Amino acid sequence: MASFRSVIVNSYKILRQNNGVIGSFLKLFRHDDLKWGTCIGEDKFGNKYYQNNYYFYGKNRWVSFPPSVGFDFDASQVPPEWHRWLQYITDEPPSTHPLPKRNWMADHTENLTGSSKEYVPYSTTRPKIEAWVPPKK
Amino acid sequence: MATNRLVQQGVKQVKPLLSVDRTEARRRVLNLYKAWYRQIPYALKAFNIPVSVKRAQDKLRELFLKNKHVTDIRAIDMLVIKGQMDLVETANIWKQRTHIMMFFKDTVNPKPTDFLSKFYEGQD
Amino acid sequence: MLRLWPLRQVAKVQNVLGGLTQIATKSSQPVPAPELVEVFIDDKQIFVEPGTTVLQACAVAGVEIPRFCYHDRLSIAGNCRMCLVEVERSAKPVASCAMPVIKGMKVKTDSPMTRKAREGVMEFLLVNHPLDCPICDQGGECDLQDQSMAFGSDRSRFTDNAFTGKRAVEDKNIGPLIKTIMTRCIHCTRCIRFASEIAGVDDLGTSGRGTEMQVGTYVEKMFKSELSGNVIDLCPVGALTSKPYAFTARPWEIRKIESIDVMDAVGSNIVVSMRTNEVMRILPRLNEEINEEWISDKTRFAYDGLKRQRLTTPFIRVNDELVPTDWETAFVKIAEKVKSTEHASIAGVAGKFADAEAMVCLKDMINRLGGEILCTEESFPMTTSGQVFGLILIDFRSNYILNSKIAGIEQSDLILLIGTNPRLEAPLVNARIRKTWVHNEVCVALLGAPVDLSYDYQYLGDSYTVLKDLTTGKHPLCQALSKAKKPLIILGTDCLQRDDSHIILNAVRELSENVKKTCSNKDWKIFNVLQQSASQVGALDLGYQPGVQAVKTVKPQVLFMLGADAASFKRQDLCYNATIIYIGHHGDYGAQMADIVLPAAAYTEKDAIYVNTEGRVQIGRQAVSPPGVARHDWKIIRALSEILGVTLPYDKIGDVRSRLAEISPSFNYPGQVSDSGFETQAYKLQSELKPKVAEPCPNPIVPNKLKLRDFFMTDPISRASLTMAKCIQACDESEKNPYSKREAV
Repeated sequence: MASFRSVIVNSYKILRQNNGVIGSFLKLFRHDDLKWGTCIGEDKFGNKYYQNNYYFYGKNRWVSFPPSVGFDFDASQVPPEWHRWLQYITDEPPSTHPLPKRNWMADHTENLTGSSKEYVPYSTTRPKIEAWVPPKK
Repeated sequence: MATNRLVQQGVKQVKPLLSVDRTEARRRVLNLYKAWYRQIPYALKAFNIPVSVKRAQDKLRELFLKNKHVTDIRAIDMLVIKGQMDLVETANIWKQRTHIMMFFKDTVNPKPTDFLSKFYEGQD
Repeated sequence: MLRLWPLRQVAKVQNVLGGLTQIATKSSQPVPAPELVEVFIDDKQIFVEPGTTVLQACAVAGVEIPRFCYHDRLSIAGNCRMCLVEVERSAKPVASCAMPVIKGMKVKTDSPMTRKAREGVMEFLLVNHPLDCPICDQGGECDLQDQSMAFGSDRSRFTDNAFTGKRAVEDKNIGPLIKTIMTRCIHCTRCIRFASEIAGVDDLGTSGRGTEMQVGTYVEKMFKSELSGNVIDLCPVGALTSKPYAFTARPWEIRKIESIDVMDAVGSNIVVSMRTNEVMRILPRLNEEINEEWISDKTRFAYDGLKRQRLTTPFIRVNDELVPTDWETAFVKIAEKVKSTEHASIAGVAGKFADAEAMVCLKDMINRLGGEILCTEESFPMTTSGQVFGLILIDFRSNYILNSKIAGIEQSDLILLIGTNPRLEAPLVNARIRKTWVHNEVCVALLGAPVDLSYDYQYLGDSYTVLKDLTTGKHPLCQALSKAKKPLIILGTDCLQRDDSHIILNAVRELSENVKKTCSNKDWKIFNVLQQSASQVGALDLGYQPGVQAVKTVKPQVLFMLGADAASFKRQDLCYNATIIYIGHHGDYGAQMADIVLPAAAYTEKDAIYVNTEGRVQIGRQAVSPPGVARHDWKIIRALSEILGVTLPYDKIGDVRSRLAEISPSFNYPGQVSDSGFETQAYKLQSELKPKVAEPCPNPIVPNKLKLRDFFMTDPISRASLTMAKCIQACDESEKNPYSKREAV
């Protein structure tokens, strides 16, 4: 029954970390989850990464998306260097062990499907018939 | 010999497909209708058809009434046989979803018949 | 035959040996029927004429002898040895293609000796032939492939003892049309014989002997002929293949549609090869009366022009710019315009590729609207006085067609060409003249530009006075003309595009009538016109006026252009607020000038009737579908007529053809040609109506196409073709090549 005490302690810590009852409610509403943990780092998009080994392996690392994206968040907003930490590929977060930046590395972009900037596949085969384009005056 | 043939012609009757008279044909049609009517909820569920039971029942009625002008018993029997085959295929899920949806095609454009619409459509 | 240098030597020997050859069968007294020779082919008794070869005798007996070098239309070479057969009482197998039959000869075409001989020849050929059939363009239609399957051995004894690899030969560059892979060459010399005998260009030849032998042009230069593509068909292996077609399709994937060519007025019969709704290549189709089995390079290679610069959607002009639209909008726009104009001020112009169905539809529609002016782009003198109105000359068909027919050229013994360069205007007519010149010793005289016709001719100059001298009998050629049994006068149409054309036509007509008076053969047609555009004879048959003079005079407010792309008139020639409606398949001069553009089908995309320069009605078949929303020409006009309220009474192509037959019965007999009549009456009428005042003709009578360069780009299809552009480039480069033969002029 140590759990009863730990439930109380955890609830208190959650409430404290999430700015009270209202803040916790909003957090639950937005993320469908309520946890407390230590902030391991933050990336340039404003995503915050937490860890708490109190929770079971698999649930002990999580990301909190910035308020700027609202409810429009998804996993592709996590950049690859944090992705490897978040998915337990490594235990070393990029905040303490930054990865080498090569000049061929492109900037991370989230999955733009569904937005106006989404990728639309196009045919690269040449058309069988080249249509006439009237000369512009 | 000649008289024999004449007699034969006089009593010549078409061979019935199933029903011998109108009453029997009517009974077969009604039976088929009822069988379809009972099958509708299961079919809609099995094929996941986005149509309410009521609408499917209406469609069933409509499809049956489409042939109400048919009076030839043999023709009625043939239609019943076809409907029965359809029903079996539906009940056994030998058909696919699109085949069921074919009953509900309301928005198919009729094929063009006159020259100008054929020209615009680009088909002969 | 004496005009071919290699044969000349043979003939000399033969003459010495006792005059076995019968040169130039033009002797007037009837030759007594030669006694037939009895030969036995596989113990089957047949009778053939003396002088036929064993191979031909076998063909009569129904036995096909394998061959590589032998070809019906070329001289006999006898160097491939594939046609070896056993002849009884002969120590060795004999080459049947070169062996004349002897009385009582017993030929065995399937004996062990024959089979062994074939197998041995095939083995030797394959020893020196690469086994690259999977990457060879000839694969699937290769004589070597087929015959090695049928007559070859099932194994090879070839061992590369010295490890030097198989024989390899460097590829030659002979122009942008023919791809050479000379390692594959089996030295049949068909291409060489074609070049020197039929094309009349002694460019190809052999160097070296035995395994070192090479076929080529000796020095690198272009194979400069308008018939060069035919060596691709002749080559029994993949040594000469089509450059534009290389690696695009395989013969078993393509569907073949038998159609008619429209690049010139000859109407060559062609086979359009189609795959996945795309024209892959064009090949000739056998028609002894028109093109034999050859086609010109423009016919064969301009098909890539069908895939570029195409009109695929209707356009209307908004703020001086053409914008794409749909059919209904375009039709409504036309209807608005037609409603608001006076109906007599509606005219139509048919271009070079217009088919008969579209022309009759356009004519019927405009006539129903009340317009009368329908003309073709290409001009032809309508009246003896050169005025626009009063159709006298073209009321008689004999005035504008090639009366004696293309095959008839072979019978003639004197040909006078006036103002034409048949080599570039109608290459297959020129090939006929050359064939006649080679085999029948015909004399050719030319009045026009001193162009290279691939045969010798007597050049008469290019001035009108020569023509005048000929008509008055002062010219020295007149004697020859009056003595000739079957003289031909062929008038080109380039010199008839000018204002003084009627004077030339009158003179030529008078000349032919004078010659006719002295000609012993009364049925022989002397006067011939060599048309250049595929639509012209059909249009004149249907009652179109030749030339756009009428349009320029009347200045119509609404003008329908049926593929008129020759830039024969400008917008300034029409009414100031004229609406131009262009119906055609290429974005060319016509579409640029037009206010409304309606996309139609090109000749491979429609079932259509064309009439060639002989007046032969031929039906072209649809091979592929029109691109985009383009429609068949006649359907466009039929649909438009319904919008304009003058519905034409035909819904099917069969109805349109019945209408064609109503106008001219010749449309009932596709593929046939009937003799033109009423020549004497036509001439009588003409001479009566001729202006009595003699008018001088200041300009020399010269054709427009002088060099091979001018041949390639003449119409919207060939102008859009990249292959044709490359040909012109290659011609220009060959001008700089010191080894290339200079063209005359």
